[in-house]
Amino acid sequence: MIKIEIVKGPITPFPSDDSRTQDGAELVFNGRVRATEHGENITVLEYEQYEGMAETELRNLAENTVKRFPVHDLFCKHRVGKVKVGETSLHVVIWSKHRQEGIDAMSWFIVELKKRIPIWKWATLKDGSRIPSECAH
Amino acid sequence: MIQVKVKCFSQVKYVLGKDEMSLTLEPGTTSAELEELVRNQAQGKLDEVTLRIAVNQKYIPKEIELKNGDEVAFIPPVQGG
Repeated sequence: MIKIEIVKGPITPFPSDDSRTQDGAELVFNGRVRATEHGENITVLEYEQYEGMAETELRNLAENTVKRFPVHDLFCKHRVGKVKVGETSLHVVIWSKHRQEGIDAMSWFIVELKKRIPIWKWATLKDGSRIPSECAH
Repeated sequence: MIQVKVKCFSQVKYVLGKDEMSLTLEPGTTSAELEELVRNQAQGKLDEVTLRIAVNQKYIPKEIELKNGDEVAFIPPVQGG
């Protein structure tokens, strides 16, 4: 099973699940906002999505991940809008029978997410200006 | 003539200064020709930016002819996570 959510406020983590008697591994990944982007101090990152396509692509990626790797479930929340330094922007939980397939699936899922899901970061600098985070300004 | 909506994100939005544009094009205009038009509007500021194209919210693997009412997005390198 997969669950995908794009959320506009703080991420509430998926609960740990003690009822999963067939899953020896429960992997949790939290991506958090760092205080610096390309050497610049920032106060907040703003995540912009292509509404509709971002969720569809994320769902397709999750479905491909559970087909490609022998894992049971993949739950993912991605936050959009303003996210303060230190807060979680991406939360992923994968349950699998053994740890290695879960670790491999988590790694692949996140690598592919960063290639394909139409979500972008805007940084707010100390002087209040707002720029695309990869921008050379 | 056909009408298409162009969605702008990240560097494309930053350079062009708008979220979206409604454009009137010659029938038969292709996705690659529209990309050239958008890059020309950017006056060189997107020359170093690789853009993937989505039409009606799906990535297209190759150049296609646009249709009236299409929504076209030029997708700069994504940064989720």
